[in-house]
Amino acid sequence: MPSVFHLLPFFVAAWLFFCGLYGLVSSKHLVHSVICLAILQSSTYILLLGIGYRVGGTAPIFADIAPGTLTVDPVVQALMLTDVVVEAVVVALLLAMVVKAHEKSGTVSPDDLRTLRG
Amino acid sequence: MTAPSSLTPLPVAVPMLGAALMACLRKWLNRAAMDAMGILVAALTLTVSCLLLAKVIHAPSVYWFGNWSPRGPIVLGISFVADPISAGLAVLASTLTLLSLIFSWRLVDSGSNHFQPLMLIFLAAMCGFSLTLDIFNLFVFFELMSTAAFALCGLKTAEPAPLQGSFNFAVTNTIAAFLVLTGIALLYSITGALNMAQIGLAIGIRHDPLVLFAFTLLTCGFLTKGAVVPFHFWLPDAHAVAPTPVCVLFSGLMVQLGLVAVARLRFVVFAQTFAAHEGRLRAILLSLGLMTILVGGVMCYSEHHLKRMLAFSTICHAGMMLLAIALGGPLAFAAMLVYLLGHAFIKGGLFLTSGILLHRLRAIGERSLFAKGKDLKWTAALWFSGALGLAAAPPFLLMTGEAGISKTAEEMGKAWIPWLFMVGGGLTSAAVLRVGMHTFFGWGTEPITDEAAQIGELPETANEDQRIFWYQFAPAALCIAIPIVLAVMPGWLSILREASTIFTQQSAMAQLVYGNAMTTRPPGWSASLISAAVRGSAAFLAAILLALTSIFRMKLRRALRVGAFLESGLHPLRVLQSGHPGDYVLWLTFGLAMIGTANLILLRS
Amino acid sequence: MPEATRTRLFLVFGGVFLLLFCYSVMDLPPWGDYRGPYGDVIARVGVYERHATDAVNAINYDYRAFDTLGEEFILFTAVLGVMMLLRREEGTATRDAGKVKDAMRLSTSVRTAAMPTILLTVVFGFYIGLHGQLTPGGGFQAGVILASVPFLLYICENTESFRRVTSHTCLEVIEASGAGAYVLIGLAPFVMGMPFLTNFLPLGTTGDVFSSGTIALISACVGFEVTAAFLLVGYTYLQEIITGEITEE
Repeated sequence: MPSVFHLLPFFVAAWLFFCGLYGLVSSKHLVHSVICLAILQSSTYILLLGIGYRVGGTAPIFADIAPGTLTVDPVVQALMLTDVVVEAVVVALLLAMVVKAHEKSGTVSPDDLRTLRG
Repeated sequence: MTAPSSLTPLPVAVPMLGAALMACLRKWLNRAAMDAMGILVAALTLTVSCLLLAKVIHAPSVYWFGNWSPRGPIVLGISFVADPISAGLAVLASTLTLLSLIFSWRLVDSGSNHFQPLMLIFLAAMCGFSLTLDIFNLFVFFELMSTAAFALCGLKTAEPAPLQGSFNFAVTNTIAAFLVLTGIALLYSITGALNMAQIGLAIGIRHDPLVLFAFTLLTCGFLTKGAVVPFHFWLPDAHAVAPTPVCVLFSGLMVQLGLVAVARLRFVVFAQTFAAHEGRLRAILLSLGLMTILVGGVMCYSEHHLKRMLAFSTICHAGMMLLAIALGGPLAFAAMLVYLLGHAFIKGGLFLTSGILLHRLRAIGERSLFAKGKDLKWTAALWFSGALGLAAAPPFLLMTGEAGISKTAEEMGKAWIPWLFMVGGGLTSAAVLRVGMHTFFGWGTEPITDEAAQIGELPETANEDQRIFWYQFAPAALCIAIPIVLAVMPGWLSILREASTIFTQQSAMAQLVYGNAMTTRPPGWSASLISAAVRGSAAFLAAILLALTSIFRMKLRRALRVGAFLESGLHPLRVLQSGHPGDYVLWLTFGLAMIGTANLILLRS
Repeated sequence: MPEATRTRLFLVFGGVFLLLFCYSVMDLPPWGDYRGPYGDVIARVGVYERHATDAVNAINYDYRAFDTLGEEFILFTAVLGVMMLLRREEGTATRDAGKVKDAMRLSTSVRTAAMPTILLTVVFGFYIGLHGQLTPGGGFQAGVILASVPFLLYICENTESFRRVTSHTCLEVIEASGAGAYVLIGLAPFVMGMPFLTNFLPLGTTGDVFSSGTIALISACVGFEVTAAFLLVGYTYLQEIITGEITEE
């Protein structure tokens, strides 16, 4: 049974995912919901980066070290690098929906926006 | 192993380039020019996809981006797989987008001319999603498809409802995307690969809790896109508020692509994992499909907003397609694709017809439309043909698909599946018939209505001219005509069966990826159409009866008012569709927990 | 569904999900023990094959350049969406720009200190953008850094100064050109009979700024696109605040 410290980043990722979902379920403000989606995203980043780490490894930049030195995994870093910037703008899109919803109905609480019932 | 065609990336590159160009020139082009450019680029994409399809009919190939071929067993680059199935899906996407853009010529509000580039990007994402064989690339196109969809859904900013529907859609599908990404991360950690064939070979027969959990995450993420119960709540909200051309694409292809992704996972990535537990996996997926068909069908009948009703019928038919994937095997999968094709056009035709009604009669709720369509003869013909198609009656393509699925089901001893298809098809068809009889004939008493029927009643076209134009009618008519043409055209079914054999075999996919010679030679299509025709016609007749009990409910005795009961009863189900995003996330978590536990317990040992 | 019920039900189902997650994660290779071959192969051969010392950007703009194209278009789509959702419709009442309380101008010392900061930021942004293939950096990061400059102006001064340095038409054209250029760079190898997004430019010497072929070029296009995208989003939101619709009170 591996030690807890060998799995801590993954447990943190799981807990963040749970917290994000909890925030979405119990949210009373649409902006809060959007930020909870950002928390969900952070959870995936922690999982990805935790998977790619190598103890004793250095950054995969070979400007001053020889190729073949022990480095961490560059692939997961590449995967999430572009995601960070892109999701910032997707959050902007969701916030634009919230702004417009507030403009049209005067409220930002999901409980009060119930035109789509039934 | 044939050399890859250089046409392969074009179904994605052409619409992307077109969209960028149109966005660049947006300030200087007027509406007509933007519309024309959009239609031109969509037509170009259609041409390119058709050429690609023609090239790969008997010679599937794999295309490596950046010229990065695999190094031994390790795949370095991203690959597209060009076979009749993926190229065919790209053709379908281009056709539906082209017809939708023609429909929205000049009249549909174009959001300051942002609508056309967004539709093209949506098209590019759908093509990319169908063609890719790299799991992270699948995620990227999933996100691109979703982002374009969120934006398109919220186009009508004049009322509050579209923003709410768009927000619910965005929240649930973004969670789905993160579930998929988590699953990809877990698979990457144990296999060190991102190519689906390589992952499948690396996982092998391993089925410890980690692999099963990754399977759960990936499946639930794609099933959310595929609108399967209990992940389906976002779909009716999104459809009720999105403009008509966008609904065509959502229900026609976007939802079904989620199911195609589930099929890829099942047949390529996790093929060997469940080899020992085929029956149990089948049971899990079948029960999901069963719930989806029942919930979708019943809720479909109880809706009085045309677009929401059609959205629930999409959910019902998505359940049927999931059943086909659950059964497994090349014939069932080929039949599922036939069903997908037929459904895409029929549903597209029905949505376009409802768009014509919204434009002409300025209403989309059943009560507001009552008896107003009495002089719209050709529109009525389209609408009732759509109802015929939904019941899988001849001469539409859905019947052919249903034949294949039912044959596989009977071979596996699950004789209840054809009955389930009849129930689902009958319910959805009955709902369409009921609305049609109310609107176009004005029969019976005033329709029951509900709160939800008043959403989105603002017409999406300007007030100037309420005639039905040829560019509105022609796409709808084409959508209804194409399944009939395809159903009687010979020869393509065996090509589909051959391609489906490659799709459903992990070893065949691996051979394609690593450049080895292909060794499969499958038999042709062999499902009897007679029994399917009988079943389809019976379902249609039952649908007519059900619709009539609803329409003439005042003249019937209480006990016979089945239709009216289905329409206004079943309160608990309707309460669940509450419009609150927190509720939707709760049911998503419920689905995750249930499916995860089921997978762990049943597929572990 | 009443809120309390929803939360309680979620704690049950969410708890089950959390337990499943933690239970499955115990089968992962322990943290710090990355085993997979993909990253190691690229780390070993990336420098020789592409003359790029930054393995992460070599992956982003060469090995998996198609993914980055998709991501860039997600950004593009989201910006189109923001502009479409917050568009001003004809016939709706707009607040008179002069009467809106704009942000208060900060003190003279802050505004004076802002100028060298802006200069430094611009230089730093271009440095990061040009050295993407050599050190951590590249188009996305450079775009964000450069986009922060007009926002700094907005914070120190007011909306007028933001709008003075950014022109909506210009930004739209730059953004769309950045996205379109990436696709064109991908299509260019077709002329030589090579697949989409092959690195066809001369690779140069490792360690030089002008090396690694199309990696630097794509990085530059992405940089322009990201800068313009963020500024467009900022512009649209500020427009919404200043000329947003009057809600019926």
